[in-house]
Amino acid sequence: MAMDVKSWATKFKNLTDNDETIQCMGKYYTCTFMFDMGEQKVIVEMHDGKVKNINTDPAPLDPYDFALRASSQTWREFGQPVPKPMFHGIWAASFRRDLKLEGNLLSMMQNLRNFTVQFELLRKCGVPV
Amino acid sequence: MVRHSPVTGRYVTIDVDGHEYKVFYLHNGNGQPLICQHTAGCHNHQWRGLLEDEEFTKDYNIIAYDLPRHGKSDPPHNTEWWKEEYKLTAEHYVNFIVKLCDALELKDPIFMGSSFGGNVALQLALRRPDRFKAVIPVEAADYAPGFFLDWWRHPHANAAQVCASGVWDLMAPQSPDMDRWLTWHYYSQGSEAFKGDLYYYSVDHDLRDELHNIDGRKCPVVMMTGTYDYLTPPEATENTARQIKGGVYIEMNDIGHFPMSENHDVFRVYLREALRIIRERTGG
Repeated sequence: MAMDVKSWATKFKNLTDNDETIQCMGKYYTCTFMFDMGEQKVIVEMHDGKVKNINTDPAPLDPYDFALRASSQTWREFGQPVPKPMFHGIWAASFRRDLKLEGNLLSMMQNLRNFTVQFELLRKCGVPV
Repeated sequence: MVRHSPVTGRYVTIDVDGHEYKVFYLHNGNGQPLICQHTAGCHNHQWRGLLEDEEFTKDYNIIAYDLPRHGKSDPPHNTEWWKEEYKLTAEHYVNFIVKLCDALELKDPIFMGSSFGGNVALQLALRRPDRFKAVIPVEAADYAPGFFLDWWRHPHANAAQVCASGVWDLMAPQSPDMDRWLTWHYYSQGSEAFKGDLYYYSVDHDLRDELHNIDGRKCPVVMMTGTYDYLTPPEATENTARQIKGGVYIEMNDIGHFPMSENHDVFRVYLREALRIIRERTGG
């Protein structure tokens, strides 16, 4: 059974805001992105390396810079402590599995160091699907 | 007590296709020459574990060079290289490696390279099987499209971080943090060359119709790929090796696209096996 999305959001925020690798270079890590996990979507708003807000019930016109879209099964693999091959990152899963990277990818590239580290925090907090 | 490494570095100047290159290389060991190519956009520190591994250096003369425009090997000193976009070609890459081996007077060297170094190992086996005792293409395939991207040096993003973090998940999650972050560090240093290297890797390198012309009985080809490599997944390497006469494929578990750099302790187990096969097939 998937965890409640609000509990997940609290965990993900706490892990991010206390992650030394992100926080040591967190200045200017400011962007907004969507995790589209099929039946569950969230929009994460980052400001200077901290989670400013996680929108756990996005409305159709709620804005974000870029989105990661994949099946819930793929997201569950992302959330494993040691993901299987091809589920071990956004590049791997977009080249070899069903992950789609959409929206303003320049924003993602501008923030790639910290976003990559933050994405791997899913291995610690799991996913809400 | 001074803690010197046994690894030493030198420069050698060579001329390749009209370009004068002052090439930096690291060296340690004695015996059978084993010359090592780093991955695209990187430099020879990727081989730091092997260069200090006594099990290999006692029998192998290990040389790891920086390709021009990488690490301590400058772009050519006799051309205005800054006025032309860098795009590495298979022909120039092969010519460079052969000239370097000639300059260092390497007799029957084994060539080993990873990623775009693995792909050029296949080119060497095709074009110059007479010059090499064997090749070890690591994380290689007949064709590897998809990585010649503008993102590697987009002026609106931090190219150093895009390159370094863009290759992050080419590594396996099991590889040690220190080694993965050292590889990240190396990749933050090579962004200007990375895209030009990938022109070779993803565009100019295409051996899909040539594999049958590689004879692994004349120049043994031992291919190795990690299970976490999404660019050259295991099935791509296995499919390539199968089409080479006498080609060998070794799958490496729980490691990615930079095996020598991200986890030498795992890589060395498979390298030992590759070298054993080469000794068996070449009589020493």
